[in-house]
Amino acid sequence: MELRVTERTDEELSIEIAGEDHTFMNVLKGSLLEHEHINAATYDINPEQSGGQTDPILTLKTDGSIEPIDALEEAAGDIRTKAADFKSAFEAAA
Amino acid sequence: MMVPVRCFTCGTVVAEHWEEFEERAREGDEDPAEVLDDLGVDRFCCRRMLVSHTDLVDVVSPYQ
Amino acid sequence: MASDYDVEFVERTEREARILVRGITPAFANGIRRAMVADVPTLAIDTVRFIENSSVMFDEQLGLRLGLVPLTTPTPEEFGDDDVVTLSIDVEGPATAYSGDLVSSEPDLVKPADENVPIIQLKDDQRLEAEAEAVYDHGKNHAKHQGGVAVGYRHLQRVTVDGDLPEFEEEESQIVRGVIEDDGELIPTSEFGHDLTERYPGKDVTVEDVPNAFVFHVETDGSFAVEELVTRAVDSIDDRAAELEDAVQL
Repeated sequence: MELRVTERTDEELSIEIAGEDHTFMNVLKGSLLEHEHINAATYDINPEQSGGQTDPILTLKTDGSIEPIDALEEAAGDIRTKAADFKSAFEAAA
Repeated sequence: MMVPVRCFTCGTVVAEHWEEFEERAREGDEDPAEVLDDLGVDRFCCRRMLVSHTDLVDVVSPYQ
Repeated sequence: MASDYDVEFVERTEREARILVRGITPAFANGIRRAMVADVPTLAIDTVRFIENSSVMFDEQLGLRLGLVPLTTPTPEEFGDDDVVTLSIDVEGPATAYSGDLVSSEPDLVKPADENVPIIQLKDDQRLEAEAEAVYDHGKNHAKHQGGVAVGYRHLQRVTVDGDLPEFEEEESQIVRGVIEDDGELIPTSEFGHDLTERYPGKDVTVEDVPNAFVFHVETDGSFAVEELVTRAVDSIDDRAAELEDAVQL
C-alpha cells in the first residue's frame, strides 16, 4: 500500500492509495463518514482500461478541529476495531 | 467434449455430479429436474451446465 | 467506536451457510462480501508439465481443467505463502482420469476437495501423465483462486400481520427471498415456497427491511469451510487497515 498526497490543506486532504479497490476504499469511506470531525469523504476510481490514473484517490474534509491525516489514521483504527469485533462475534456464533 | 469443471456463471464445481446425473437422468429414466434437486445443484446457472452438456470424446477419438 | 455485532447462523452445512449479522453497516458488509470473493487466497494448480498426453484434448485444455479443480487450502501460516505443492497424475486408458487420481506431495494438507471431477476420458492406448504445481493466488487474478462462490447478502426482512384481507379480495402471491423475521423468529423463505401467502393465508401483511441487519449467503468451492472463509475475509480487511495505519504514521 503506497500513499501519495496530491493535495493538502489544514482541513482538506486528497491522497492516492495505490493498489486498493472498492473492497477496502468503500469500507474506509464508510468509516470516515462515521467520524465525528469529518464533514465529507469520498473516493474516485477510474476503470482499468481508461489509461492514466487508475489508483483510487481519497478526498476528505474535516471541520477544522483535527488534522485530516490524523482523522484518516483514526478511521483505519476504527476499521481494525470493527474487524476484531466482528471476528469475535462471529467466532462466538460459530 | 468433457463436462465443464465449474459453472461458467457462479463457479460452483458441477463436474463432480456429472457422472451420477448422466447415469440417472440420461441413461436412466429419472426426471432430470428431480435428479438435480437431489444432487444439490440448485441454481439455474449450474443446472444448465449439466442439462445442456454432451460428451464428445467418443465422437472425436477416431480422428486422433 | 461502539460496534455491537450480533451473529447468528440460520442455515449451516460444511460448504454452505446463511449467516445473519445485525448492527453492520452496508459498507462493511459489502467489504466482507467482496473480500470473500476476490481477496481470500486459495491454492490452485497453475503450472503443468505434461510427460505424456495422448488423449483427445490438448495440453492447454487439460491444464485449464486441472486448474479449476478445488484444492483444500490450509492457512498461509500453516503453509508458507510462496510455497508450492506438487500434484502428479498418471492414468492409462481405457479409463477416466478423475481429480481424485491427483497425488499430492502434502497429502495431509493439500488434496483435491472433490474426487469425482472427470478430467479426461481415455481410450485404449491413451495415457495421461503429468506433474502440476499448485500456488496461492487471489480470486481477483483468476476464478480458480476464488474460494467463495455465489456469495451475497440481503436485508433481513421483517413481516408483520396487519389483519385479515377483505372477504372477497383475491389473494395475490407475494414473493420474498432470503430470510424473514416474524416476531423474533427467523424463517428461511424456502420453508414456505418463497410465497408469503402460503404462510399467512388470508392475511394482510407488510414487509420491511430491518436496518443494518444482513443475511449473508456464503458458499465455498470446498477449499475450506464457510467459517474459515469468513474469518479469512475479515482478516484481509484488517490487514489492509493495519497497513494503512502504519503508512499514515510515516
